[in-house]
Amino acid sequence: MVEIFINDRSIKVPEGITVLKAAERAGIHIPHICYHEAFAPEGSCRMCLVEIEGHLCLELACATQVKEGMKVFTETENVRQARQGVLEFLLAEHPMDCPICDKAGECTLQDYYEQYGLFESTFMEQKERKDKNVPLGKGLILDRERCVLCTRCVRFLRDITQTEELGVFERGVYSEIGIFDQRLIDNNYAGNLTELCPVGAITDKDFRFKTRNWFLEKGASICPLCSRGCNIFIEHHPGFARFDVPKRVYRITSRVTSREKDQKEKGYWICDIGRYGYSYMDQDRAEKIVLKQGDSALDPKKAVTYAADQVKKLIYKNKLNRLGVISNTWLTNEELFLVKKIFTENLESQKVFFPTTAQREADDLLLTSDRTPNKKGAQEIGFSLEAISEGQVFDGTELLFVFWASPFDLDQLTGLMSKIKEVQTKILFTPFEREWNKDFDLVIPTAVPAEKAGSFTNEDERIQHFGPVLYSPGQARAEWEWLVSLGKEIKVDFKSYARLSSPFDVFQMMKKKIKFFGK
Amino acid sequence: MIDVLIILVKFVGAIVWFLVLSLYLTWAERKESAVMQDRVGANRANFFGIRVLGLFQPFADAIKMMTKEDFTPEFSKKFLHNLAPFLSFFFVAVTIATIPFGSPIQISGKEIPLQVVDLNVGILFVLAFLALSIYGVILSGWVSNNRWTLLGGLRGSAQLISYEVALGLSLIGIVMVFPSLQFSEIVGFQSEVLFGWLPKWGIFLQPLGFIIFLMAAMAESERVPFDLPEGESEIVGFFTEYGGLKYGLYMFTDFMKVLIISCLLTTLFFGGYHVPWLSAEGFHFPWGGEWLLPYWLVVVFQVIMFNLKVFFFCWLQILVRWTYPRFRYDQLMDFGWKFLIPLSLFNIAATAFFMSL
Amino acid sequence: MFRLFGYFIEIIRGILITARHFIVNMVFHILNLFGIKTKRKGAFTIQYPEQKTEIAERHRSLHRLMKREDGKPRCVACMLCETVCPSECIYIEATEDPDPEIQKYPSTFIIDLSRCCFCGFCVEACPEDAIRMDTGEVEFAQYNRKDMVLDLESLLNEPK
Repeated sequence: MVEIFINDRSIKVPEGITVLKAAERAGIHIPHICYHEAFAPEGSCRMCLVEIEGHLCLELACATQVKEGMKVFTETENVRQARQGVLEFLLAEHPMDCPICDKAGECTLQDYYEQYGLFESTFMEQKERKDKNVPLGKGLILDRERCVLCTRCVRFLRDITQTEELGVFERGVYSEIGIFDQRLIDNNYAGNLTELCPVGAITDKDFRFKTRNWFLEKGASICPLCSRGCNIFIEHHPGFARFDVPKRVYRITSRVTSREKDQKEKGYWICDIGRYGYSYMDQDRAEKIVLKQGDSALDPKKAVTYAADQVKKLIYKNKLNRLGVISNTWLTNEELFLVKKIFTENLESQKVFFPTTAQREADDLLLTSDRTPNKKGAQEIGFSLEAISEGQVFDGTELLFVFWASPFDLDQLTGLMSKIKEVQTKILFTPFEREWNKDFDLVIPTAVPAEKAGSFTNEDERIQHFGPVLYSPGQARAEWEWLVSLGKEIKVDFKSYARLSSPFDVFQMMKKKIKFFGK
Repeated sequence: MIDVLIILVKFVGAIVWFLVLSLYLTWAERKESAVMQDRVGANRANFFGIRVLGLFQPFADAIKMMTKEDFTPEFSKKFLHNLAPFLSFFFVAVTIATIPFGSPIQISGKEIPLQVVDLNVGILFVLAFLALSIYGVILSGWVSNNRWTLLGGLRGSAQLISYEVALGLSLIGIVMVFPSLQFSEIVGFQSEVLFGWLPKWGIFLQPLGFIIFLMAAMAESERVPFDLPEGESEIVGFFTEYGGLKYGLYMFTDFMKVLIISCLLTTLFFGGYHVPWLSAEGFHFPWGGEWLLPYWLVVVFQVIMFNLKVFFFCWLQILVRWTYPRFRYDQLMDFGWKFLIPLSLFNIAATAFFMSL
Repeated sequence: MFRLFGYFIEIIRGILITARHFIVNMVFHILNLFGIKTKRKGAFTIQYPEQKTEIAERHRSLHRLMKREDGKPRCVACMLCETVCPSECIYIEATEDPDPEIQKYPSTFIIDLSRCCFCGFCVEACPEDAIRMDTGEVEFAQYNRKDMVLDLESLLNEPK
């Protein structure tokens, strides 16, 4: 630990860290463009200049290590002038096409001009024209006019993915970012470049011109597309008063939590599968409870009563062994716990079946081979996923509950459909409107993970809690809501369900019962 | 038989005069308020493109009122709800029967007074029927079965009853100086001349009584500044649950009240149909001049004079209505009970004092 | 009692003012009625459909979208007007233009006049001077709400 003074404020920081990080710890922001926490300091943008007592010239805060008794000043006249100068040079060749730039609103250059610049432009000449629409592969588009040559993208591809597709070509004022010889970027983490770029030089087709980022609201959630469970922001459009927007979710961005900050190669990024795989939240959503026989418009209470009545029939006949459940690992810990509590404990059915999910290729950075979010959770709750085979679950089954929350792996359920059709009564809980929905007696719409609260247990056995970001459409509710009301309605163990009014309550119950969640 | 026919004709004539003038009073009110406020006023209503200063406006209003839905609220008492506006209308309309329009005319030896009925209790009759029109107000407020209209009706009846007292007391002075309750006789007394030149009109004998009567009568007509029962623009009044023609009748009754008050003011305080210095033979000017006229011309002069006086008072009332803001309710009650009534009592005492000299 | 007298004076003064207005205006009305031209009119009002006042230069009237020289909309769909609009009456959808100089143009541009409050913020916010409210058009009442919604086509081809 060394003691340094930033703007005459004494702070104690560990030895060997840079001035910029030390200032960040003290809550003092030093503007920087090329520096990124995940990479080693580059020092090419010169925005982070600070004055250090005893030094002859201004020093780079991102590259200077702290020393005992160092006195740093971040807001002196010299520093401000230096910053203005740097900004003026950066903006001299900047095209100022903020109106059509997707970064506008979250652009570092914009923010710093507002905060530290505010000078009148003295640049009278025609600006340099460069390529404005260079495809980089994977839907990325490079605008060379906007580029400030911070080389964050080059460093990302060099240090993190180690694929080295981008480089800086030419020298001096002709320097430009480019790909080598038509070899387009092709790795699973290319989407991070748009987020990484401090200006709007790299944009992706997926978000390009769709909306402006200040319309979007950020909601913290967990990516459910693989068992890594990356922290994400779901950026969604709350809509306009009079006009419908075409979709709710416009993009997914990475969310850096303090826990992950130390893991440079993992903490700041999300893979392209998670980044661009959000369309399921808005497409083909089931919004209405559909009962095959009888009236199609059903209120939730009636639907639950119908499902509970089917269960009660079996109870009265004492044939509970004819109750089967097809569950899946897209459900949260709480929901899986409720499935276990209702079907295995209360109704004493042993036939809770998890369809085996195909293992896909993993990469060595983030993406895992298991592409469902909560397999670990299901195992910890006490389901042994392979214990029941396909044959057993359909053996003599009269009533079948099917939970199907995955937007992918459609062929798994399709493969089961021929057997499901033979079951007398079958009830489906699904967030999606699919071909097979019409084969079920009762279809209950449910929420996707972005619309519900709960927790997933990821591959590293970490319990990740998340809250709802979006409203579920129509009559759709989260599975735990349906399960709690079903548990109440079956009336085998009414008391314990009556207390449950949120996933938090369920989790408290889980904590007591299952040691893994109690720790 | 012929007497009944004559009375019938006179009644029809009087009521037509009354209604048509009331109808055009709505036009006059719009125009006068507009001119006062530097505007033009209603001038768009036309008949095949002929506008004539918007003189067709009352008809347009009437057509609008008639073609509107005759809405009776579900929760009201249907029969009484329909009855109330007509009751109000009727009690005001009949009062015109006692007003004298001119000297009696002679047709084939028969003397016909230009007055529908010459009751010997004319003043009491008019006061009584004006008082009865309170029934329309309180009835409509009550049968609408709406608590706000009920409050409006109560406000209205309280106000009308309060000012009824001042109205009656202010007339006692007139009855004292012109010892009769019969309109024709009161008008007759006013044909005389004071000091050889001043017409012996009620206003000169009863100036205080005139002011009290004017104010109390305007309160009776329920118009600004005394329009608390209705308060069209802000407070909910007794005819909130009325629409279309029935609502129109209430508004129309207001204008009829304005007209009947003008008639009363003319008859009681401004010499009725008398033209100054005009007797049955012609003018006898106080400076000695004479201008003899045939009797029929005298009657025509008198009828025109009566109408002019009535128009003047209508004009004055509209002027007042578009000049002053509304009273607060407690101010209204204070004004009635603590100012007008003591003042009218004082007026009676003073009149008695002067008469006993 | 003395105060009451003061009130009374004011009341009389009030009615004298209104009566004066009535009489003076009436004189001019009558003069005009008989065809006598006077400098002063009886009323200050303007008889609107027949008689129209001049619209001031900076008056905010119906919107229009400006065109480039080649007829394309000048708008680049930056959605700043949509953002600043306090009544949320503008809706824009952007599309990619093959021309790299333009890049972005509006495929949909809707202004809902039934919601617009004519504050002119959209004109202030526009970085391209693409939207203006200078058509001088103020009579755009319609019989149904649908006709109050203007699309890109009609905004581009506004008169003036």
